[in-house]
Amino acid sequence: MHPFFLDDASAALAERLRRVTVRLSGRGWNGAGSGVVWRHDGLIVTNAHVARGPAMTVALYDGRELTGRVAWRSRSMDLAAVQVDARDLLAAGTADARSLRPGALVFAMGAPLGMADALAVGVVHGTPTLDRAGRPLLVRADIRLLPGNSGGPLVDAEGRVIGINSMVVNGLGVAVATEAVEGWLQRLAHARAA
Amino acid sequence: MERAMAAEEGRLAPLQALSEGLTGAVERVARSVVALHARARIPSSAVVWREGIVVAAHHTVKRDDDIRVTLADGGDARASVVGRDPSTDLVVLRLSDGAKAAPAEIARDTPRVGQLALAVGRPGSDGPTASLGVVSAVGPSWRTWAGGEIDSFVRLDLAIYDGFSGGALVDASGRVLGINSSTLARGLAVTVPAVTVERVTAQLLEKGRVERGYLGLAMHPVRVGAASAARLELRHDRGLLVAQVAPDSPADRAGVLVGDVIVAAEGRPVDDLDDLLALLAAERVGTSAGLRVVRGGTLVEVPVTIGARPQRGE
Repeated sequence: MHPFFLDDASAALAERLRRVTVRLSGRGWNGAGSGVVWRHDGLIVTNAHVARGPAMTVALYDGRELTGRVAWRSRSMDLAAVQVDARDLLAAGTADARSLRPGALVFAMGAPLGMADALAVGVVHGTPTLDRAGRPLLVRADIRLLPGNSGGPLVDAEGRVIGINSMVVNGLGVAVATEAVEGWLQRLAHARAA
Repeated sequence: MERAMAAEEGRLAPLQALSEGLTGAVERVARSVVALHARARIPSSAVVWREGIVVAAHHTVKRDDDIRVTLADGGDARASVVGRDPSTDLVVLRLSDGAKAAPAEIARDTPRVGQLALAVGRPGSDGPTASLGVVSAVGPSWRTWAGGEIDSFVRLDLAIYDGFSGGALVDASGRVLGINSSTLARGLAVTVPAVTVERVTAQLLEKGRVERGYLGLAMHPVRVGAASAARLELRHDRGLLVAQVAPDSPADRAGVLVGDVIVAAEGRPVDDLDDLLALLAAERVGTSAGLRVVRGGTLVEVPVTIGARPQRGE
């Protein structure tokens, strides 16, 4: 394999990631971090510890700055759903964390220390930890994450989101697995319908 | 539009190939990486080096007998310590009969700078763990702070997590380059290269210990002083001040005294402890070494018969 192809591939992946990653900022120090465009109709997923206030400014890759309403927060899951008024967004593709194997390449994008769209690379550290129902809950990655990475995407080598970067534990990057995010969103939808 | 998407997918193919390669390497070696339950809190990693023989990091194995082992297939086995070499942070254990554990494939070549490397461990029963980095420096043979001889200095640019020590460093095809240790070089990630592991393992299996030369001295580097050096016609003014002589040690029997300053050994100037430790390789045990010491302002030649370092408890 010619190294140029590897270069070109990670550049292509970075560009793909940039389009589905948003920068979130609140008023003053009231939260700042990243988020992932989860649905084309304006649903952004981020960490609860990023979306602290009732509204956030959402900066998209194309330069648009929209006002996002913090629709739901779960401190126990460290997840928040932010709704922006847009119907034409490019949503991130997702993949099961269940199939992740240690050593698999992963990438993270976010705004570490305020630097927008910064890319980090690493590998899956171990198999995902599971919730009580046996579904993937947390993905552990050997990757260097910084505070502004919170709420941003952790993706596989195909650019598919496998988790929302949430914390650093003993040096390991820890992301809330895609399955856990989807499960949470479904529970919210049921609760609303009921 | 569809064609554009397909072209885009194709551009990512090299990353997927690399990712597949890395997971394949981890899976291959993980069959030979086991977990040892021989300390409090988290279990530590070990590598099946030969049939029925596992090698781990000495500092992570706090007991010698009836150690529980979690095998790659999730099964349990027992192991006991065959021998330890604290100076290279290695310990060799024998698995109980019938334990199913395939020996790892060992790389025979020396690691190269820039080579991709994965640290693979098994800190418990939740499967193997991996971290990725590169071999960042390869130097000549070196001596650890505990006096162990390691065939080449292999430093890694790789993060240290739970389970690093005693785990395998593997190349991109899953062959073992060495056994990792976080304690040999001031917390830096280093690996004890396979050739050293092989040598130490063979000695421990044969003798239960790694033999090393022994003088029985505690010393401190000092300067003799330029004027004294000139008067004694010494080529340099450094030496080792003898602070303590162990009773009935080789140095004691040879008549080395507290207060002597060793300025040369085997005709070569002595600057620091390393110069003297270089005399103490296993093959020197039983041979004689000439020490030149400054005693009461004069030079004295003291021949010492190098002994074998006593084991703890002897």
